[in-house]
Amino acid sequence: MHALKIQNIEKIYGKVKVLKGIDLEIQPGQFLILVGPSGCGKSTLLNMIAGLEPVSNGNIFIGDRDVTHLDPKDRDIAMVFQSYALYPNMTVRQNIEFGLTIRKTEKSEQKKIVEKVSKLLQIESLLDRKPKQLSGGQRQRVAMGRALARDPSIFLFDEPLSNLDAKLRVEMRGEIKELHQREGTTIVYVTHDQIEAMTLGDVIAVMKDGEIQQFGPPQEIYDNPRNQFIASFMGSPSMNFIPCQAEKVDGDMPTMQITLESGNEKVKVPIKQNIKGLEAYAGKSVILGIRPEQITQQGEEKPDSAMLNCDVELIEPTGPDTLVTVRINGVKTVCRIHPTAESKVDKLMPLLLDMSKVVFFDPDTQERVY
Amino acid sequence: MNKSSTPRQSLGELLPKLVVAPTFVVAVIFIYGFMLMNAWLSFSSSRMLPKYNWAGFLQYEKLFANDRWWVAAENLFIFGVLFIVICLVLGLFMAIFLDQKIRAEGAIRTIYLYPMALSFIVTGTAWKWILNPELGIQRLVREMGFESFTFDWLVNTDMAIYTVVIAGVWQSSGFVMALCLAGLRGVDDNIIKAAKVDGASMPLIYRKIIIPGLRPVFFSAFIILTHIAIKSFDLIIALTGGGPGFATDVPATFMYTFSFTRGQIGLGSAASMMMLMAVITIIVPYLYSELREKNNEH
Amino acid sequence: MNIKRVLIYSILSFAALIYLLPLVVMVITSLKDLDEIRSGTLLSMPQALNFDSWDKAWGSACTGVTCEGLKGYFWNSVLIVVPAVIISTVIGALNGYVLTKWKFRGSTLFFGMLLIGTMIPFQVVLLPMARMLGFLGLAGTTSGLIMVHIIYGLAFTTLFFRNYYISIPSELVNAARIDGAGFWMIFHRIILPLSIPIIVVSVIWQFTQIWNDFLFGVVYSSGDSQPITVALNNLVNTSTGVKEYNVDMAAAIIAALPTLFVYIVAGKYFVKGLTAGAVKG
Repeated sequence: MHALKIQNIEKIYGKVKVLKGIDLEIQPGQFLILVGPSGCGKSTLLNMIAGLEPVSNGNIFIGDRDVTHLDPKDRDIAMVFQSYALYPNMTVRQNIEFGLTIRKTEKSEQKKIVEKVSKLLQIESLLDRKPKQLSGGQRQRVAMGRALARDPSIFLFDEPLSNLDAKLRVEMRGEIKELHQREGTTIVYVTHDQIEAMTLGDVIAVMKDGEIQQFGPPQEIYDNPRNQFIASFMGSPSMNFIPCQAEKVDGDMPTMQITLESGNEKVKVPIKQNIKGLEAYAGKSVILGIRPEQITQQGEEKPDSAMLNCDVELIEPTGPDTLVTVRINGVKTVCRIHPTAESKVDKLMPLLLDMSKVVFFDPDTQERVY
Repeated sequence: MNKSSTPRQSLGELLPKLVVAPTFVVAVIFIYGFMLMNAWLSFSSSRMLPKYNWAGFLQYEKLFANDRWWVAAENLFIFGVLFIVICLVLGLFMAIFLDQKIRAEGAIRTIYLYPMALSFIVTGTAWKWILNPELGIQRLVREMGFESFTFDWLVNTDMAIYTVVIAGVWQSSGFVMALCLAGLRGVDDNIIKAAKVDGASMPLIYRKIIIPGLRPVFFSAFIILTHIAIKSFDLIIALTGGGPGFATDVPATFMYTFSFTRGQIGLGSAASMMMLMAVITIIVPYLYSELREKNNEH
Repeated sequence: MNIKRVLIYSILSFAALIYLLPLVVMVITSLKDLDEIRSGTLLSMPQALNFDSWDKAWGSACTGVTCEGLKGYFWNSVLIVVPAVIISTVIGALNGYVLTKWKFRGSTLFFGMLLIGTMIPFQVVLLPMARMLGFLGLAGTTSGLIMVHIIYGLAFTTLFFRNYYISIPSELVNAARIDGAGFWMIFHRIILPLSIPIIVVSVIWQFTQIWNDFLFGVVYSSGDSQPITVALNNLVNTSTGVKEYNVDMAAAIIAALPTLFVYIVAGKYFVKGLTAGAVKG
């Protein structure tokens, strides 16, 4: 049985279609991430799940109930907001109790819940403070506490970490994940941060222009992006897109090969994967998609590697590894190499391209070539 | 299955509208309806009692042929221009001086602004006493030894309107000061620091950077002062009563006199329509900027 | 302290003196008797503290036909101000709440309509309103004046609350909705506790506006129902025999005291009201 089912949801403001028919389904206990650039409609979708914005077309089911036209309070949800939205005139305890009081939970029961939640989030010492007296991280915890206290069937998170500084964000990210694993809650989580999406989600819906571009587990989306947008959005630094010429090599087993050029070297690289779609591009240009970590220094040869001497243009050490920018087929290409590997600006550097995981895109439609 | 929730939902959506409905009705009737009614009156031949007939531009023709109206219009122009310019200049300078980390700033600010809390009737009464030629400032200066000093503007047909300017400025310049001071405090410190690093002197910084940055403040102050000027009625009633004769009449007093004491309702409404026109020519750019700002928020 | 600062302080002090002088003159004059006024100057001090003119202004000065001083009119003003301020502030708060937190199709247009209401010269509604008050049987009554002040104050109070509530994050309202609170509960439990400053601003603004109003007072009231500003003007302009400047000044101070008091006690909020809508943020 699904925990949340969204059927062909549309949102229309005047003449503008903000959401163009969204379909989604998640199981109880799943952690769904809605990710995309700003303006993609992810927050609108979340607000519609919450019942804060009316639905133009389509249906939303929570469990087996059609909640499309229900008030937020009747949907059995709780929400954590970007600005935390703690009631400034109430103490932390009153903030957590507010929703319980409205639902007429018994006082003794309320007390138990507050105790349990505050212990879980380690905010026991803050219960009598006002939100103003709390730090950003503490507010974040209280906001989560308020949601947890309600014990809803679905939790909604609207970019809850974006107001925190970098270190705290990583910390809270871990805590949210831990909480999810321990309590087995169902979560819908909106973010524009692809790292949050990758680290937290069981399933990710990548959105753009009011449509879901791809829906699936994080690794699946990372390894098999359906188009160039998803490939560039997920992963940092972004996937490299190298335009190149494809050719057919005749032989017993006809295969494809592409031409790569850097410095004054030109190599033809055979594509050994079984890529049927690529054959249609014989004699034409195609976009090669290769992630930075698939281009490394020599010495880590894999069966399906190609070697290319590249002119180094920029070196950026990050600590665990070093990002080296070279130019392949005229476009800047970022490679992730081991920090001890020798590299110098304006010098040639032999690099290995792991061709086993590369993907190809159509230069016109930017869709994946399968 | 969700049929039961539908009526409650619609009530929930209706409630906010129900709450503002009374205000909406009131605005439609008492602001817009009345403006239309008034416009209609101005095209009727109403005198003592309102008549709702069509007399074309009769009342406007009468109005434009009336010397007293032109005196009133000229007075409003003189008063308006002087009142606004002096208030803006005084307000700005007082604000700049007050912005120099002055001790007792709060007390001084309080003193500059208290006249704004007074009724124009009180202000008028006070200045009427201060400016009266027998016992007022004239007597004070003469007692100080300047025997031939004359200051009889209040009863001088040509000069009386300037006494209205004096009292008006006294009452309202502190308000402009408060606006400008708030504006000055809003200037980004880093910009001033940057200008200092570039070697600019304080007067130059004020002239080239800070004062140009106060443009929106001047704009608001200008709008509000213009509004006060066009509506000014009580101050003139209390200070000069429109006199001597009708030397200090302004459109607001003209409208009042003709509508309520002379039984010329049609003429009075035509005069008020002219006042409305004057205000509209000022509000339209204001509303325009207001709405544009609102669009930028999205 | 260099010469520049001395100059600045001198200018500021001189200006302060100019602003204060009229008030000082009023007080001094009100404490003198007529002989002292005639023989002295504006700034000559009274020989003794003499409150006779205050007594007269309050209890027995002539304001047109009657000679009972300002006291009755003072209470008239109080009777007009209190309900008008409360009602217009309450409605303004609710309007502001709806216009920012429960927006609907056309709510911005509605606000624009009201905004114009803050700008029109009231002269354009004077004549039709007089008809309406006559029609409602409220002509020449304090109830009629209360109604007029509520109606034409609504645009201002709505503007205050709307501009204030717009800075309260909507997420707060959304959070409360998800917690199960409805329209009134959110207003009462979340919005109202945050509204104290703007309530003070609105109350002070409406109080000063209505207390100081002359135009509506002089047009729509008569005899017993007149507010204090009208009575003060009548008192000053009633010419029976000698001109009693001391009584005039005492009366003017009495009429000014309530608003001056409010200004001194809550000046900060007074300035906020004046600048609300003028300076953004």
